[in-house]
Amino acid sequence: MRLQEKLEAKEFVVLAEMEPPKGVDISAAVSSAMSVKNAVDAFVVPEMSNAVMRMSSLGGAMVLANKGLETVIQVCCRDRNRLALQGDLLAAHALGIKNVMAVAGEDISFGDHHKARAVNDIDLLELLGAIKTLMSGKDMAGIELKGAPDFFVGSTVNPSTSALELEIQELDRKIAAGARFFITPPIFDIAVLEKFQKRLEGRQVFIIPTVLLLKSVGMARYLQRHFEQVHLPEEFITRIQKAPERVRECVQIAGELVAALKARGASGVHLATIGWEDKLPAILATAGI
Amino acid sequence: MIRAVGKPLEEIIGMVQNFDRILLAGCDGCVTVCEAGGLKETKVLGSALRLYFTQAGQNKVVDETTLTRQCDKEYLAQLGDRIDNYDAVVSLACGAGAQFMVDMYKHKVVFPGVDTCFIGVTEERGWYTERCQACGRCILADTGGICPIARCSKRMLNGPCGGSEGGKCEVSPEMPCGWQLIYDRLKTLGQLDRFEKPVDPKDWTSSRDGGIRKIMREDLRI
Repeated sequence: MRLQEKLEAKEFVVLAEMEPPKGVDISAAVSSAMSVKNAVDAFVVPEMSNAVMRMSSLGGAMVLANKGLETVIQVCCRDRNRLALQGDLLAAHALGIKNVMAVAGEDISFGDHHKARAVNDIDLLELLGAIKTLMSGKDMAGIELKGAPDFFVGSTVNPSTSALELEIQELDRKIAAGARFFITPPIFDIAVLEKFQKRLEGRQVFIIPTVLLLKSVGMARYLQRHFEQVHLPEEFITRIQKAPERVRECVQIAGELVAALKARGASGVHLATIGWEDKLPAILATAGI
Repeated sequence: MIRAVGKPLEEIIGMVQNFDRILLAGCDGCVTVCEAGGLKETKVLGSALRLYFTQAGQNKVVDETTLTRQCDKEYLAQLGDRIDNYDAVVSLACGAGAQFMVDMYKHKVVFPGVDTCFIGVTEERGWYTERCQACGRCILADTGGICPIARCSKRMLNGPCGGSEGGKCEVSPEMPCGWQLIYDRLKTLGQLDRFEKPVDPKDWTSSRDGGIRKIMREDLRI
């Protein structure tokens, strides 16, 4: 499988987020993915991010996998108890999914089904522990499995947090629980990432920063104002404001960030284009990938 | 009322063994009624701990007190002049009382002395059963006064699952089927038509799923 092999060979990897549809028409996601398949090592399929109901990660990933694309599925404790999580993980392995990423999941109140009841039977670290247990050939009840799954396991880490000590302690717990690659929230200030990585010396993990495609000045301002932990330098907003073609400038900024991360020795990059997946080829072309 | 059971002595010993001066704080509220954390249980626990530590050759101070309620500040404040005489407190109030003590005495180690179980009733002395899960939006008017959230094992809101046998839940033959109780009750009241109306998926935002809950009664606030 390309992702794990490339990371272990210290080659720069390109991940692209591919939201499954809210509905059953998967054609847009498939065509976007197919258009960049040669440049992208794996497609990260979110598990109902922001608690918005849509096709599940496993289902969306299988649609892409059936087209020969490598995927990273997300598993999250918000909507499934330990039986469902383990059952889906066994199914994922049997269906050929290799990469699994455990995520916390946003609270139900952030989504579009705010009357729903959250599950949260186990937490993120326990989920990582459960994956490790399954890989050892047993389930969470200690019962032997008929064939153990094998996954390349990841999770999330936030280098931009103000509570860095806690974040690193949490990271160490995730590493101990079996996570090997970590995807960050959007990074606009590479210095923040580099500072964080210096703190991680000695840890054998792959940190994959997210490059988020800004779509407008409004979106950039929103990120600046409402997400304290996203360091979004003012120069990016100025560039978009002054650009004759703003969308092209947004793509340019994302592409430059990818190129800069590659040049500075990052393990890879995770591209999030939230609905503008058709811009992926242009971003990658700008980045020279 | 809230129902609780005392924690096993070994668990409490495990919590306090590294502390020399220990205060056991009972509560005269719900945990007294269910005989888990009132004056009597606090004194019994105190005696058991003193006996254990004496036999183990450990010189510790274990004192007892009880407060009228631990979920109200004015009663918790009564500990203010002596709480610093102790290294740790074991609160035998419910989880709410123990946490309110933590809020008031921020630098004091507070351990729980009981396991808080549910909102329930006394069937007989020493036999308590659950009646309410405090979902924040009572539907008893539609279910004959019997709550399917608290009394159906599957928390079903639109009738029984089909797994009950002889009026007992499939989870245990000891357990009445909540929906059998509701059906029988509605039949007695001549309100079986209520049973026929399907309800929409429940809005759980008033339950724990909407985040940490609070009540703000403007009419009561000064």
